[in-house]
Amino acid sequence: MQETNMLTQIGLEHYLVLSAILFSMGMAGVLMRRNLIVLLMSVELMLNAVNISFVAFSKFNGNIEGQIMVFFVMTIAAAEAAVGLALAVSIFKRFKEVNIRFFEHLKG
Amino acid sequence: MMNMGSTPFEITVNIIKTVLVFLMMVQLVPILVWVERRGSAFIQNRFGPNRIGPLGLMQLLADAVKFLTKEDFVPDKGNKYLFYAAPVFALIPAAIAYMAIPMSTPLIIGDSKFLIQGFEINVGIVFILGISSLAAYTILMAGWGSGSKFSLMGAMRASAQIISYELALGLSIVGVIMTYGTFNLTDIIQAQQGHLSFSFFSHQIESAFLPNWGIFYQPLGAIIFLAATFAESNRLPFDLAEGEAELVAGFHTEYGGFKMLMFFIGEYGHMMIASGLMATFFFGGYGIPYVTTKEVYEFFLSSTGVETTAHVLNTLVHFLSYNIKFIFFLWFFIHVRWTLPRFRYDQLMDLGWKTMLPWALANTIVTAIIIFASAQFSF
Amino acid sequence: MVDAFLFWFLAIVTVLAGLSVVLMTNPIYSALSLVMTMVGVAALFVTLEAYFLAGVQLIVYAGAVMVLFVMVLMLFDLKHELQAFTRGKITGGVKIASVGIIAGLVVGAITLGTKALELSKAGAETSKPVVDSTKALAENLFLKNVFGFEALGVVLLVIAVGTVALSRTKGGTHARD
Repeated sequence: MQETNMLTQIGLEHYLVLSAILFSMGMAGVLMRRNLIVLLMSVELMLNAVNISFVAFSKFNGNIEGQIMVFFVMTIAAAEAAVGLALAVSIFKRFKEVNIRFFEHLKG
Repeated sequence: MMNMGSTPFEITVNIIKTVLVFLMMVQLVPILVWVERRGSAFIQNRFGPNRIGPLGLMQLLADAVKFLTKEDFVPDKGNKYLFYAAPVFALIPAAIAYMAIPMSTPLIIGDSKFLIQGFEINVGIVFILGISSLAAYTILMAGWGSGSKFSLMGAMRASAQIISYELALGLSIVGVIMTYGTFNLTDIIQAQQGHLSFSFFSHQIESAFLPNWGIFYQPLGAIIFLAATFAESNRLPFDLAEGEAELVAGFHTEYGGFKMLMFFIGEYGHMMIASGLMATFFFGGYGIPYVTTKEVYEFFLSSTGVETTAHVLNTLVHFLSYNIKFIFFLWFFIHVRWTLPRFRYDQLMDLGWKTMLPWALANTIVTAIIIFASAQFSF
Repeated sequence: MVDAFLFWFLAIVTVLAGLSVVLMTNPIYSALSLVMTMVGVAALFVTLEAYFLAGVQLIVYAGAVMVLFVMVLMLFDLKHELQAFTRGKITGGVKIASVGIIAGLVVGAITLGTKALELSKAGAETSKPVVDSTKALAENLFLKNVFGFEALGVVLLVIAVGTVALSRTKGGTHARD
């Protein structure tokens, strides 16, 4: 009885778990990938996951502020992606590489 | 919008409508190609294709048969998956975006109400803008998957052009949205009925001569929208993505056969969306000028007496009216292609960012000021 | 019933696309998977009845930001990924373990927390009507949060100027390298 209820009736928990899964995948990408652009894309994935949870809370609480927050997050994410890409282009022009293992100059 | 239909009957009807809209887009392309080739031939003082079928109408059928028997290859340095995926992806945004455009009044048979559009979407305009902005990926995938420098450069230029003109497109529509106060395309069409009448600083301005079309409310918005949709569908004078003299054939250099045909189906699909939107926002959509849809329905009801027949005739007449405007704009697109010369790339980017964007912004601000002021003050 | 099927289908598509963002070695495949993820997220916004936000997500994220990513990646023309993932077994294991711990904590908090269940039951009855959701959004954004809105505009202006300043070469666009 409980099993069919979870499968057929979508509640807040479903969206939050989905958001958590996407967020942790993005975090794994940031930690494990070495291409600079893929790093930036994983950050975008994390921000999208957070957007889902904002909108889910907004709907299930009846409060429109969640969607306003999504506006802000979306704008900041787009701006940060632009700056990140400009930096990546500068790095590529200088080093001809975007693999971050070449930039570990501060190590050791 | 979440109801794809509560009953299986509704769901089936919706699925059939989806397939029908897609097929409509694909089947209109041979006719458009014929119009383009014959029309351009007459403009250039030569005959077009006139051997196959009456007046050359079967030319595209012969072309399709020829394409079927061509070799199917992938360039050596290209990416096989992206090369195959790009033409398929060309069809998808155009077909989906066309579903939101209403083509006639709803058909009410007995109890059930059939909408003559793919889906009734409450935020119609935002949906269409969003889906048609996915068209940049087709070009990028095609340019990259071909593995040649010509294709890549053509793809970069074309995608930069598309995302630049999306801004002017969106802003020119904001003026229309502010004037009519809704995103819903059906409501915008319903607001453009009858004669020109609006209240300006609490004077009621009526005109028996002009219909109540959007172009008289937003003339600058209409011009900017028309120019921006030319750029969005990569048509001349903005088509240096496929500029023949400059980049061989731009991003579809390495494509032959059916794949190239699918690119053109996508391009004509975008042209159809642009014509449909132009007719909807600025020329009254499926409405007949000077009369409202209710008056037409009453006329049919009084002449036939049967409600179902009146509804069917009402839908047919309005569908005809929409088609006339739609075909006029398609013909206009084709005509402009063979009339104007092509823009250079830096001229094109200057036009998009330094001319059309400021004018569209100014249009938005002036419209907002006038709407606000004429609601508050009166003289 | 249709709602549930739609949600599960979209959730699986989004999760699979997100997984291929992180796992694929070719960065262009990664970028295109991220586009698929964002389209999936936009569809999920539609199931959550945030129609305007779904359209904005498509226009801004999938239509502009990701095009920028894909364009930059294509211009870089990276031949092959020399070393796509982090090296070192111990550090890699520590990273995956930390991600797993956070994911487990969050998911456990959601499913075991009773407060969230109460909220979902109480809020579902007081959700606003769908028809003028965009109007409600606009009223809230322009009347209550107008300072944030204007601050966003200033941020975007600064970002635009900064990005142009970052990518200038000495002598202008047509100077030789």
